[in-house]
Amino acid sequence: MKALKTLIEECRSGEADYQALIDRVPYARFLGIQVIAQGDELTFVLPKHDNVVGNPTLPALHGGAVAGFMEQAAIIFILLQMGEPKVPKTIDFTIDYLRAGLFRNTYAECSVTRLGRRIANVHISAWQKNRQEPITIARAHFLLSDDGSTD
Amino acid sequence: MTEKTLPYTRLDICNRFLESVRHSVVLGLEVVSATEECVRVRMPWRDDLVGNPETGVMHGGAIFAMMDQAGGMAITCRTFPTFEITPTIDFRVDHLRSPGKGRAVVCEAKCYRLTTHVAFVSVTTWEEEGDDEPIATGLATYTRLKIDKAGTVVGQ
Repeated sequence: MKALKTLIEECRSGEADYQALIDRVPYARFLGIQVIAQGDELTFVLPKHDNVVGNPTLPALHGGAVAGFMEQAAIIFILLQMGEPKVPKTIDFTIDYLRAGLFRNTYAECSVTRLGRRIANVHISAWQKNRQEPITIARAHFLLSDDGSTD
Repeated sequence: MTEKTLPYTRLDICNRFLESVRHSVVLGLEVVSATEECVRVRMPWRDDLVGNPETGVMHGGAIFAMMDQAGGMAITCRTFPTFEITPTIDFRVDHLRSPGKGRAVVCEAKCYRLTTHVAFVSVTTWEEEGDDEPIATGLATYTRLKIDKAGTVVGQ
């Protein structure tokens, strides 16, 4: 497997597809996450799929699958901004469910509120019909470096 | 009908609820126990749920999904024998430390307050047969939808 740093540099320069970065992560493949790049802007996609259904009678997406999708989107988003890329560890993840996730494709975009040396704060928004009507919003903290930690 | 004469237990209803949720079935979730006070749910380690391929640690999203499902079932145990649809309003999970590669995880969810419209839930997750240090804690609220025939989801 190509070194993570090499792959990220190739993604940034356009030599490699962002999808290759996502496909490195087994859980991201399990959810079927895709990425659409428009220049430097990234939109993540959770394609509608039987395996991410929660309530079958509506049918509605599983809130846990949507949360996992958003967390993974944030991880990839931060990785692409790190000078020395290392998979960030999730410290906490907080999600608000605003609307039912219908059985259709879900999109997510991330914004880094603060990228510190050790900790990043990221906001993630997910929508289905249009981005002005998010189905969920989330906020997460990630540990970027655990140098000096005994863990 | 009193609880003792009901043809099903809390564990039966939780199992039926879980079986109706496709994503939870695909994650391999199992209900370990279900009482009025708490629900225990187990998720086996699987290589397709790994979040960091370099360490083999399970993805936080999979752990989140288990905790969210367990929270819903903790409410099911409080409203028993009536089954309700209870979408999550918000959920915060703190990842205290990483579970070991290859380790199954178990969580315990409690609905510690049930009001007319809102349920308050706490969830703690450990490595199965690990020491007593939790790997994750969660705090959530759910809303109680007033839907007729919600019980059909669990065969009532």
